[in-house]
Amino acid sequence: MNPSPLPPTVRPPAKRLWLWCILAVLLPPVVIAVAVLSCFHLSSDTKALRNSLIKSSGVEWRQRIALNVGDLKLSVARAGLSFVHLDAGARAALQSVRGAEVGVYQLPSGAKSPDHATLLAAADAAMTARGWDRVVGVMDGQDLVAVYLPDKIASVRRMKCCLTVLDGQEMVVISARANLEPLLKYALAQPDIAARMRSLAHR
Amino acid sequence: MKNLICHSFAVAVLAAGVSLNVLADPPVSQVDFGKLAMPGNGGEFVEIQVNSNLLSLAAKLVEKQQPDAARLLRGVQLVRVNVVGLTDENRDELTKHVRQIRHDLDAQGWDRNVNVRQKDGEDVGVYTKTRGGESLAGLVITVIEPKDEIVLVNIVGDIKPEQVAALGEGLNIKPLEKIGEVLKK
Repeated sequence: MNPSPLPPTVRPPAKRLWLWCILAVLLPPVVIAVAVLSCFHLSSDTKALRNSLIKSSGVEWRQRIALNVGDLKLSVARAGLSFVHLDAGARAALQSVRGAEVGVYQLPSGAKSPDHATLLAAADAAMTARGWDRVVGVMDGQDLVAVYLPDKIASVRRMKCCLTVLDGQEMVVISARANLEPLLKYALAQPDIAARMRSLAHR
Repeated sequence: MKNLICHSFAVAVLAAGVSLNVLADPPVSQVDFGKLAMPGNGGEFVEIQVNSNLLSLAAKLVEKQQPDAARLLRGVQLVRVNVVGLTDENRDELTKHVRQIRHDLDAQGWDRNVNVRQKDGEDVGVYTKTRGGESLAGLVITVIEPKDEIVLVNIVGDIKPEQVAALGEGLNIKPLEKIGEVLKK
């Protein structure tokens, strides 16, 4: 016959209270630290675009800034700015953006500007492998612009876009997530755009 | 067990079908312009490619306000525009390349609708392909401006040459608007 099991031990309430106190003290700084660190962490798609450009250029670029503003931070900003008088266009833009990432990089002084065609080909290869299509590619003088959109766009409410702008010695990599509905509503309400659409329809 | 094998086989066949569909040939009116000689750093190069995904999204957005414009956008599956600046290094190669494209289009049964040579040397060729003799399946526009640039446009879908400017305006593609205006003249 097995001996009867011992009754479960109950932790004294005072000990639990201490645990909660420690958690209450430690958790906020950890959460804040994670939030702050995430502000400087680019997503994998943006990193892939940046890395392909840097690697193909064969030059060591200096990072000037890398920022990531997510939906939570933008929601706080939207809530805060809801009490402030804003231009209708600016408000529509603020309502549309769901997240944005920006990385700014600079060539070291004296470094020769890399070949734009090589950069574009490398960026295309990296982004195509991740399911992105290049919609626009422009090379003009010292400038290079490439805009990528996902090859499958599910909805106008969840649009993603990656782009890079190279201006001589400086390279900017941008990624944005947006719900385009508020912005399009605003755009279509503009008299000149409405007129253009009417003329398009009548031709 | 037998059911499981049958189901697995069915899923595999379905997946293969989907893959084959994805790998299916592009529409006959989609033209591969080949590799275009880049002008090198400092020269102009523009490439715009708007596919059916984005076009149907654009159509969806304007269909309430402008149903006719939405219909025009829905009729198009692909818009591709290439503008390459001419420099001393790439002028001969690109000019030859565009003439070869025109020759290939002639050989592939495209109808040459417009062929304009202006005094300043601007050379415009417009080709269309019909679907069953009724609606248009595609459009190719080739422009050689010997001093400045070459422009290549391929539109897949039911669109008339006189609607090109409107499409360029609707999609805010400046080179398309410019060519559309030339075609109207």
